[in-house]
Amino acid sequence: MSNKRNESGRKLARALRLSRRALLGSAAAIAGLAVARKAPFIGNAEAATPTLRLLMWQPYAIKETVDAFEGSFKAKFSPTFFDGNSEAFNKMKVGGTKDFDIVQGDGFWPRLYFRQGLTQGVDFAKIPNMAGVFQDFLPPNFPLLADETGATNVAAPNCWGGYGITVNKARIPDSDIGSISLLLNEKYKGHISTNARFEENIALMGILAATNLGTVGAERPDGKPFNPYNLTDAELDETKRLLIAQKKLLLTRYQDYDALDRLMRGGSVWAAPEFSETYRHLIVLRREGKLDFDVGHVLRPKEGGLGWVDTWMISADADSERVELAHHWMNEFLRKDNYVRVVRSTGYGGTVDVRDLMTADEIELYFQNRSAEASQLHMFDQPSSPEKWERIWSDVEAS
Amino acid sequence: MARGSVSKGGLGTSAMTGIRSSLARRGQFRFACLAGPGALFIVVALLLPLLAIVVFSFWRTESYELYADWNLDNYRVLLGEPAYRIFFLRSLAMAAAVSFVCLVFAWPIAYFIAKHGGRYRLLLVLLLAAPFFTGVILRITALQGLLGPIGLVNMALAELGIGPVGMLMYTPLAAGLGLFYLFVPFMATAIYLSLANFNFELLEVAKINGARPWRAFVEITWPLNAIGTAIGLVLVFIPCLASALTQRFLGGPNATSLGMSLAQQFGETGTWALGSAMGVFLFLASLAGILVVRRTIDLKRAGFTGALGA
Repeated sequence: MSNKRNESGRKLARALRLSRRALLGSAAAIAGLAVARKAPFIGNAEAATPTLRLLMWQPYAIKETVDAFEGSFKAKFSPTFFDGNSEAFNKMKVGGTKDFDIVQGDGFWPRLYFRQGLTQGVDFAKIPNMAGVFQDFLPPNFPLLADETGATNVAAPNCWGGYGITVNKARIPDSDIGSISLLLNEKYKGHISTNARFEENIALMGILAATNLGTVGAERPDGKPFNPYNLTDAELDETKRLLIAQKKLLLTRYQDYDALDRLMRGGSVWAAPEFSETYRHLIVLRREGKLDFDVGHVLRPKEGGLGWVDTWMISADADSERVELAHHWMNEFLRKDNYVRVVRSTGYGGTVDVRDLMTADEIELYFQNRSAEASQLHMFDQPSSPEKWERIWSDVEAS
Repeated sequence: MARGSVSKGGLGTSAMTGIRSSLARRGQFRFACLAGPGALFIVVALLLPLLAIVVFSFWRTESYELYADWNLDNYRVLLGEPAYRIFFLRSLAMAAAVSFVCLVFAWPIAYFIAKHGGRYRLLLVLLLAAPFFTGVILRITALQGLLGPIGLVNMALAELGIGPVGMLMYTPLAAGLGLFYLFVPFMATAIYLSLANFNFELLEVAKINGARPWRAFVEITWPLNAIGTAIGLVLVFIPCLASALTQRFLGGPNATSLGMSLAQQFGETGTWALGSAMGVFLFLASLAGILVVRRTIDLKRAGFTGALGA
């Protein structure tokens, strides 16, 4: 009896095993069929929704702007963020032209992208909202939006700003403000901070180095005007010396603006070169009575300063549909009512004249009356020799 | 049973061999099916990138372009330029110091849990993983808030009339504290797992035979759990050697490590070939670290004998 029960139990178990196998098999088959049935549907749906793939700075991915664009053009906005120009350029060089339709860059970078065949021309006629852009940011006044010959527009402008020096005016008297040498003033040891990127550090100190050497106005080896991104060996040596001297005075190299905000608000840092973001934030806090000291910002130190105009470029491998979509994005972005939002959200200077939509305080804060100063700044560029600059930066960091 | 039945059935040696080889083939096939995907993943995700890094390290970069000009310049620069030696020595010193401090702190924690944790042992070990409930950036940010110039510690010191301690933030010490905080759970867990299988009655025997607690620890507990210590050291030392993020956020201007410099080669300066050489160098240094640990541990005494047949 017992054996029989065991036997029937084994049979039942076998049957269960079989049915489980069968069940699993059936489930797999059904799943396979479902996927097979659904796959073309997914494919068609994806194909029907155009996607704009952007390699961009994060602050410009503003939700309301993105939502409005996606709604208007039934398109998907797919951003990838980067930090510095060289990082984005590297990405585009290693096959990024196939992965992105739009890329952002500033200063001389758009020309470099175009020269290297990584981007294609931008048709300003397809961007009617360019009409609102200050003349100071359009060719020929601002030639960097076109290639070297001036024949092809290579980028559309976005925001602008400088890499000025923000100071705590309660700690630093006016007599010490106005020069890059403030960042080398022993009096403020332990209360100075710079950002962590090698390009701005070397270029800004390069301006001071060339001034010290008296080579800013001298004839340059390349026959072009002085460019802090194209320093001679003697200027680079002097720059390295200055940066090593500066390092002893630094509290830290800040990694992001939240960190710099905290350090300046807390009174740990009194002077820092930055993109005016912290300055604007602190000014707002001061106006609201949440900060107990005055803040100043030197946009252009007496030796010269660095500046940038963000732009939008179109990837060389973007097909015609994506090129159209890219132009739509640029146009929507530059639309005045959106652009006010962009300026308020990012805290950057605006290349679009939106003074009629701003308060007097905002006009001052976002440099709406200072667009002419942009042309006096040395625009961001690619280092003349990244290898040489890397070696200098490593020497500074190891000192 | 099966073997007996077959023999009684009159099957010869050749048939037996056939069945065995068939079974072996089936076993091998099953093993290949099970291990294959994992092995393939390792080849694709680990070995191929590593191979690419090795190849790039013998190439050249110029203005963000990578040229396949085979040369040894990157290694010459890496070994010849003082800056990179300093970065490496900083990283090495930091990894060694953090590993040592983690070891000193983790042993009592693991010992306490293993010996006195009772039915809460598992819970206590799991609590070691509590810091991992959040991301590494968040943990580093929390440390900034704690140790920074206007952080909780310095504010408390200020309340007590003691000036803020500058060394707590933006110094190599701060980076070391950060790494210790990030990696001590690894060390404690590895040592605990070793102690979990340790027979604490051996200590009673030593005590009965007149050994003082310290001698019992040195001669019994430590050597018999050396494998846990070794694994803990490897788990802490190697990530610390390559670490970049902690030094970047907490270390200030004087804490640049080889890992930070390496990250910069790929992210900012576009000098990939030199960065690749750094990667290869770091890989070899890590390998050397593992070999040193391996040679200093007596695996037989540590009880790690089964798998190696030692």
